[in-house]
Amino acid sequence: MAEYIVKESALKDFFKSLTEGRKLLAPVEVDGKLQMAEADPENISINYTNTHMSPKSAFFPQTERLMAFHNDAEKSDPFVYKPLGLDNVDQTVLFGIRPCDARGLVVDNLVFQNNRFTDPYWKTKYESSIKIGLACHNPCPQCFCTSVGGSPFGEEGLDVLAVVKDGGLALKSVTAEGEEFLKGLKGTESGDTSATMDELKKAAEAKMPAAIDQTQVEAREIMDIYNQPHWQETADRCLNCGVCTFVCPTCHCFDIQDETSAKGGVRMRNWDTCMSWLYSMHGTGHNPRPTKTERVRQRFMHKLKYIPMKQNGNCGCIGCGRCVTMCPVNIDIREVARQMNQ
Amino acid sequence: MSDFEPKIVAFFCNWCTYGAADLAGVSRLDYPPNFRVVRLPCTGRLNPKYILEAFKRGADGVWVSGCHPGDCHYIAGNYHARRKFVLLHHMLETLGVEPGRLHFSWISSAEAIKFQEVARDVVEKVRACGPNESFRKAELGLAEVA
Amino acid sequence: MMSLEDLIKKIQEAAKRALKEGKAEVVLGYQAGTTPMAVAPLFARTEGDCDKLVWSNFAKTNLSTYLPELKDKKVAIIAKGCDARSAVGQVVEHQIPRENVYVIGVPCTGMVDLEALKSKEARPVAASDEDMATIKLRGDGWETNIAKEEILRRNCKTCICRTPKMADEVIGDEVPSMTPDDYADLKELAAKSPEEKMAYFKGMVKDCLRCYACRNACPLCYCPVCFVDETRPQWLGKSQDEMDTFVFHLLRGFHCAGRCTGCGACEAACPVGIKVREFNRIMEEEVQKDWNYIPGLDWEQKPPLTTYRPDDEADFIR
Repeated sequence: MAEYIVKESALKDFFKSLTEGRKLLAPVEVDGKLQMAEADPENISINYTNTHMSPKSAFFPQTERLMAFHNDAEKSDPFVYKPLGLDNVDQTVLFGIRPCDARGLVVDNLVFQNNRFTDPYWKTKYESSIKIGLACHNPCPQCFCTSVGGSPFGEEGLDVLAVVKDGGLALKSVTAEGEEFLKGLKGTESGDTSATMDELKKAAEAKMPAAIDQTQVEAREIMDIYNQPHWQETADRCLNCGVCTFVCPTCHCFDIQDETSAKGGVRMRNWDTCMSWLYSMHGTGHNPRPTKTERVRQRFMHKLKYIPMKQNGNCGCIGCGRCVTMCPVNIDIREVARQMNQ
Repeated sequence: MSDFEPKIVAFFCNWCTYGAADLAGVSRLDYPPNFRVVRLPCTGRLNPKYILEAFKRGADGVWVSGCHPGDCHYIAGNYHARRKFVLLHHMLETLGVEPGRLHFSWISSAEAIKFQEVARDVVEKVRACGPNESFRKAELGLAEVA
Repeated sequence: MMSLEDLIKKIQEAAKRALKEGKAEVVLGYQAGTTPMAVAPLFARTEGDCDKLVWSNFAKTNLSTYLPELKDKKVAIIAKGCDARSAVGQVVEHQIPRENVYVIGVPCTGMVDLEALKSKEARPVAASDEDMATIKLRGDGWETNIAKEEILRRNCKTCICRTPKMADEVIGDEVPSMTPDDYADLKELAAKSPEEKMAYFKGMVKDCLRCYACRNACPLCYCPVCFVDETRPQWLGKSQDEMDTFVFHLLRGFHCAGRCTGCGACEAACPVGIKVREFNRIMEEEVQKDWNYIPGLDWEQKPPLTTYRPDDEADFIR
């Protein structure tokens, strides 16, 4: 484990050296909103609650072109799909991921890469990236990472953890890749950061709300939770608008679409949402989730029951609070989790 | 672009303008061949999304033509259509579609000469706008596999 | 002016009365939210539920959105002016039977624009409190008050129906309407070149996630299958293609022509802050100008696109 300090005066040098040989994604203001986006080292923010959208789009963009074909019979391979975007993938470094979002990427990673299946489009981008987290001093009122097994200073899914200290940064490597990466950076000085981190971590965790009890959800059979009466109540006011799924760092559902022109075609995948009736509509005309109730239940069951069952007890919600903040009708996943556990 | 030949999608009512085009043809009134005609039972059948779809797929212009007000085969189809056109025309103009790209006319099946005149004018107005580059879908981008 | 507490008490009484007198099986209203600056819609079915009803300056959704799916039930709705107008719209469009909806109108002095609030107070808010005219915010070691007047939603600033007089009953004190929208910005825009206009509107929607939250939050969007969900044929691609996104917003606005009551629920629901109502306003202005029609003010009015006049003007048609 390597530990470094970046003084406030050296921050710009540090950020600039992140861009050497890599594409830097970091929290920058885009149209008045803080986003994890391609960043100019001059404008990177280190004082923020969290980025507006989650960083999942760095590895799982809203629209991703997967493969394409041409139909020119004169050339070789007409009508044969060839993969797009797997060669010459940008080597990225993500600076300033909050620990909650980093855990979200871990959940997504297990969806896209597991012992049954590997998604090359995710893998090429995810594996080659360096992820530098920025620990949270001031958790926002809507977030609850500690309630779902995380921490504002969590290291899961990160290569390096940073924390703001005296206007500069204290860094510590988490993985071997992170340690190697830190060696080549400018603006850093070696220094002992663990003591500072431990102290700040305790202070930050103390500000977090109490854990949400999920023991009953864990213990119960799926169908017991499935048939609970509270779903109807939640569905009553749900608009099925899908904002929760689009802003969620761990929502990973997509829709494959083919688009063609006179010259060929492209297969792409786009973010989709279980809140939409079209998402679960079968070609036969049958829809296994015909009403709002089934669709709303699916989202919470997936996050709080199915993902924990599949991913060794790790919750599918990482407590970033985006859905809580942005739901137009104030459906609060903490409240639903409590009802499921009753 | 002097050699630019616009592609125009034309929506004609079966009971009037479509007949006018036929009459112009048998009367040997020549008109430019730049439009592809979609025959409708009535302009009231025209869903505005057809017009947008035409542009979206790369049409340089759209021309909608039906019966004179009062002459609708279905009594009031074009009266209803007219209100939709007023709104759509205003919407597209406000959003920045060049006024020369979208045309509406009332041409009865007897008005072959009016058909010829309007057809020529529509093509020239669209030609003056140039190729539709801003109000269409982007190319699929097949360079990598070509 | 009546205090917020008194108004809440009156709302609860009216809701209970509606249930007791059989005017409704369910009362749609708002309950306190789980986070600061939020309220949640409440479906009150019992007297006990009615005690949870509140009124707030953060009621950003339009409760009429729920009416079409409840059309077979007798429903009472605690409605601000725009909600009541939407309910009227649904009745004149035959989406809900008039006898099944009972409108309890609440005079409204406008709702808070959270974006505007954020630009005045960027620090994370831990708790909020409010009265009729002031928003009180509290955070980590700070407290501040903001006058609601300064952070009103744009649509509330030009509201022509702050007191829903067409409601079945009105509770609370009447409030005068605001000066109607003069569409000055649209008039200014009309003078610009097509390129500038299109760049302006394309820029407006460029962050669109295509989540369609604007549609789902809208009380007008009750179609069983929306044009964006149609698959045979598929009218709109689902990718981030600029034109597909643009046409979605264009057509959504077009479909609201002569129907939009300017409640702003679409904008409040948008997760990326697109001013989606701008598209509706284009239509709103034109419908008023051409046919002198303002939707949602009269239970008997006839929507402009279901009717015509032989002498309707359309001088662009040759």
